[in-house]
Amino acid sequence: MSLIQKAKAFLGFDIKEEKYALVDDPFFGKVAKTKAPEKWVRSTCGYCGVGCGMYIGVKNGEAVYSKGDPKHPVNMGTLCPKGLSEHRMVRAKSRIASPLLRKNGALEPVSWDEAFSHTAERFKRIQAEHGKGAVAVISTGQLLTEEFYMLGKFVQLGLGTNNYDGNTTLCMASAVMGYKQTFGSDGPVGCYEDFEKADVIMLIGANIADNHPILKLHIARNKKKPTIIVVDPRKSKTAQMADIYVPIKPRTDLALINGLCHIIMEQGWEDETFIRNRTEGYTEFKKHIMAHYPPQEVAHITGIDVKTLYELARIYAGADAAMSAWTMGVNQSALGTDTVSAICNLALITGNLGKEGGAPMSLTGQCNAMGTREFGFTSSIPGYRNYADENDRREFAEIIGVDVERIPTERGYAYPQIIDAIDRGEIKALWVVATNPLVSFPDQNRLRNALKKLDILVVQDAFMSDTAEIADVVFAAATWSEKEGCYTNSERRCNYAKKAIEPYANSKADFYIVKAFSTYFDGVHDMLFAHLNEPRDAFEEIKRVSKGRLCDYSGMSYELIEALGGIQWPCNETYPEGKKRLYDETMACPTPSGKARLLALDWQPLSESTCETTPLILNTGRTVEQFHTRTKTGTIGILDALAPEAWIDISPKDAAKLQVKSGDRIAVSGNRGRVENIVVKVTETVAEGSVFVPFHFNTQLINAVTLPEFDPKSFEPNYKQCAIQLHSEAVPEGIRYETDEIGGYLENLSVETKEKQATSETIEARE
Amino acid sequence: MSEQTSDTPLSRNTPMESFINHKNATGMQCGNYTIDLPELKPGQQYRFHFDATACVGCHCCEVACNEQNANPDDIKWRRVGELEAGSFPDTLQLFNSMSCNHCIDPECLKGCPTESYIKLDNGIVFHDDPTCIGCQYCTWNCPYEVPVFNPDRGIVTKCHMCVDKLEAGQTPACVQACPAGAIQIEAVDIDKWLAEDMAKEGVAPHLPDVEITKPTTRYTLPELPEGERFRPADEHILKPAHPEWPLVFMTVLTQLSVGAFAAVFFGQVLRSIGLALPAPDALTALLAVLPAMIGLPLSALHLGRPGLAITAMKNWRSSWLSREAIALGAFTAVATFVPLLYYLGVSSALLLFVEAIALGVGLYGIYAQSMIYRIKARPSWNRKSTTKRFFGTGYVGFLLIATLLLLREGANGATVLLSVAMLAGMAQILLIFEEVSFYRHLDKEDPLFYQLDRTRILLQEHFGNIKKWRLYSLVAFALILPFVAVVLSAASLPHAAAAIALVATLGAFASEIAGRYLFYRTVVPLGLAGNFFAGNQRH
Repeated sequence: MSLIQKAKAFLGFDIKEEKYALVDDPFFGKVAKTKAPEKWVRSTCGYCGVGCGMYIGVKNGEAVYSKGDPKHPVNMGTLCPKGLSEHRMVRAKSRIASPLLRKNGALEPVSWDEAFSHTAERFKRIQAEHGKGAVAVISTGQLLTEEFYMLGKFVQLGLGTNNYDGNTTLCMASAVMGYKQTFGSDGPVGCYEDFEKADVIMLIGANIADNHPILKLHIARNKKKPTIIVVDPRKSKTAQMADIYVPIKPRTDLALINGLCHIIMEQGWEDETFIRNRTEGYTEFKKHIMAHYPPQEVAHITGIDVKTLYELARIYAGADAAMSAWTMGVNQSALGTDTVSAICNLALITGNLGKEGGAPMSLTGQCNAMGTREFGFTSSIPGYRNYADENDRREFAEIIGVDVERIPTERGYAYPQIIDAIDRGEIKALWVVATNPLVSFPDQNRLRNALKKLDILVVQDAFMSDTAEIADVVFAAATWSEKEGCYTNSERRCNYAKKAIEPYANSKADFYIVKAFSTYFDGVHDMLFAHLNEPRDAFEEIKRVSKGRLCDYSGMSYELIEALGGIQWPCNETYPEGKKRLYDETMACPTPSGKARLLALDWQPLSESTCETTPLILNTGRTVEQFHTRTKTGTIGILDALAPEAWIDISPKDAAKLQVKSGDRIAVSGNRGRVENIVVKVTETVAEGSVFVPFHFNTQLINAVTLPEFDPKSFEPNYKQCAIQLHSEAVPEGIRYETDEIGGYLENLSVETKEKQATSETIEARE
Repeated sequence: MSEQTSDTPLSRNTPMESFINHKNATGMQCGNYTIDLPELKPGQQYRFHFDATACVGCHCCEVACNEQNANPDDIKWRRVGELEAGSFPDTLQLFNSMSCNHCIDPECLKGCPTESYIKLDNGIVFHDDPTCIGCQYCTWNCPYEVPVFNPDRGIVTKCHMCVDKLEAGQTPACVQACPAGAIQIEAVDIDKWLAEDMAKEGVAPHLPDVEITKPTTRYTLPELPEGERFRPADEHILKPAHPEWPLVFMTVLTQLSVGAFAAVFFGQVLRSIGLALPAPDALTALLAVLPAMIGLPLSALHLGRPGLAITAMKNWRSSWLSREAIALGAFTAVATFVPLLYYLGVSSALLLFVEAIALGVGLYGIYAQSMIYRIKARPSWNRKSTTKRFFGTGYVGFLLIATLLLLREGANGATVLLSVAMLAGMAQILLIFEEVSFYRHLDKEDPLFYQLDRTRILLQEHFGNIKKWRLYSLVAFALILPFVAVVLSAASLPHAAAAIALVATLGAFASEIAGRYLFYRTVVPLGLAGNFFAGNQRH
């Protein structure tokens, strides 16, 4: 700046009117002049599973605006704060400009050829020495469906390892397995429109206000003024919407649901016709529930009094249409799968399936968790096919023209099993795609130790994530707006995401990374991808693969998807514009009998409960301004400022014990780790003895404390509850544990068995 | 426009399509980019309606506002306040998304020295950017902290209800973005609002008294727990206010100068009634006006646009800031002639006349200066003691002139000035005790308790040492040393007395600077409750 300019700037003769002016845009009206787009590209948001339609404004080859599409049935013109600022992460400083290779300890930019040949050579050598399964892949819910399909094919059929799973195991797996248990297949049964039609909406472990705020739009559109029930141990922002807030004890939702079923059947409020015609297993189910879940017992487990239980049961069963929706509070649990099925049980006995406003609805966390479930080739063969089923294997092999022998006969290791296998030394190479385990996986200390044992860690990402930092090879990926394909949202709506701009620097769309990488393996490219030159080709193959399956894409095309604002599968000759709800009267469940299964399921207490050294229960989750491990949202100033670091919600009573107030800093310790320097937020949104910490932040890595316990069916981690202690400056030793007082009948009960005596002796000895 | 060929959905259904269809489908103003508003009838204006029962605290409105207006991340025209009341599980989290309340009696407009605020016919309080000089007085005056200074532009900017968009039938960014449909634009009948509805529907927890500016925003609130205290999410963030260094020096120097000038005038009066005291001369008069000559231009340094400082005099009708600028400008100008008149040896009567005018204008200037701070939006400033202190600071001017007298004239006459200085210094000390007592006895039921109590904490905990120094230095430099100077002067040791008086002058000046620094730093404005991390508003 010249001296005159400096003087002018100081004296304030320039108020930069141009920079802050608005201009008329033919499509969106007034927009900021400095970033007035040259064109708008219709696309889909790439953050969460709500699946909002949006327009990306493009100027000089850069994404400059994101605006909600008012014609899109999901969001009707609105977007959440992340979507509204999504264009700002596309050129973040942390974008990876080119492939990187670790040389002399540091990651250095290399050519794609060098990155690929180095990696391929290592993979081949490891597989030759240790077997095909020694290479494992962990992917994501963030890619486009076509990319998942490419990656899955390559990993399972090209690399020949079935040790392939996605981070979706950390979020959606329990919903998948629960739906499979109950309905015979994965596939969310309802749709967002049900929020608009329901008389009762029960949100269980779903904090939509923070995590899926756009769904509030659908509730707001419900003209019936539905009764909203929120079941959550935390009085979340969502709980504020509730007509009835149910503050259950942590992870007692399965008992609660079973208890409601008990009351409904006891009172004769169940829908007999529906049960008879559309379900199976009722007799055993009823017997189980009536025997084990009487209201008094359930009240004791959940902390919800009997009167409220009856009231809840009456409201739910009495509604013409009751919708139940859940997210991670249910899924991220060692009882996740069964809790999902229990919620389905409740819906089934009250006839809430396949009708307007009545559905047990799983809300997904990531933009395309559904896509990987459908065609990702991780927990199932593309098109919801079973590994174990010979017909499924043969059918798939025939459609894609490969030898049926190549199709794995069983699922390989799930995500946590892969980490175990790395720890054991069984898996030597790991390829991580668009996920950041160094923030998101539970029990970080163990994970980090395990990853050190790898011969090679390959990370494919658009952003320099914590995991990319420790990689040996980094594949520089393109991100949202730079590539084309489909995302499927929570309501099975396949949305089209159009490419708006070119990939950053020397990065490539994941589709092309996989395709190019496959050429480094003899014959693999020609076998799998010879005819798949662009995402559209993969989409055509997906249509063939899915034809006749539940997730039927055969009637779709990119053009039709765009015209309709997404299509809810199945989409075929019967349902040319898709189908809003699964398993209505005209559509049988994909079980052998065609009926939904009522399942006798059991609640179990926490495996890690509070005790003297760890007297509090830690709950983790998200906040509206941030997404997952913040590789994207952390780069956006306005979002970062609203939540720049983790905080800990603690009740005033616990704060008093620790002699801390809001703004002070404390440490959290558990059986596996300790996290320092978390800022205290004293709040009445958590119960005494419970705390909440968001998991987004690598600065306060709460997953160093969380529990590596997994649902035995879905392998989903039990993120939401573990026992911890808090340490303040004034009270470094933490909160004193207060044992529950035993009263009434139990007080005088003497313990007889030898085993129990031994236990009590040890307790005495310890005291 | 290559993407938009004739058959693409965008051109078939543009986002700007009929609002009516959209509203029929959604029942809400949100989502669509166009809006149909009723024509305003006479006596009506546009306003926001905020439905706190619908808001989920998602911050969409904040982000959408900044995206629309290309504002930097920390310039927030719309903010979401967060409050909590009750105890688990009957906890109430209350969100308040607020931009401008487009008040009927806007303090920003009244106080603006450059008349940069315009109440448009449709009721929108519009800020005229080109005339703003960035004095930021509106950011002090608005009890909601709505106007915000943008250092990139050197001016204040604020929400204008997307007036350009509204006039073109387009939805304001915040309204469009809200997924809960919690923000709407409505027409309000002003008289009816003032007479009946404002007291019921214009109020929300933690917000200032509606009588200050008569805001138009209508609230729909959930059932509020009675007698419960609402806890703002940013209660733990207690940052001292901006130190305003140019203003610290400007105010103290101008007050000192008016004080010194009063001493000169006092001397001239005593002489002209025939008392045998030393006559003021050109040097004395020059010394008296010098601090104002230094101090006044300093004030321009706190402006975003110092080059336009002179336009601050524009709004003498309603802005104390304009009045101060005019009066102190005039004082300095006239007082600058006084040394010249002494030098020219004009008649005593003329001198008295000119000095009286200058002093009168100067005193009014200090009064106007103090009235700048007597604003409802800043409770710790809005006290009579502010005016008393501003005048009180003038004793330093008496010390200054006394020092000069001791140096030049020996003991003769200086004791008179020293005595006045001691009296005024004593008054300043009393004001400090008054302040201590005031903050010790704050009434918890006072609607201003939250802000005043935070000022107390700032004074006691953040600036305890400066506060102590302020008191002790005042005793030392305004009482003890002047007394020693009087004694020395009585003992015919004028040079020793002069040295002591000089130390007293400098020390008292430093003490006043410290006091004024505390004054600026410990103010806690009224405003919206904030965000746990981001607080409430940039200052």
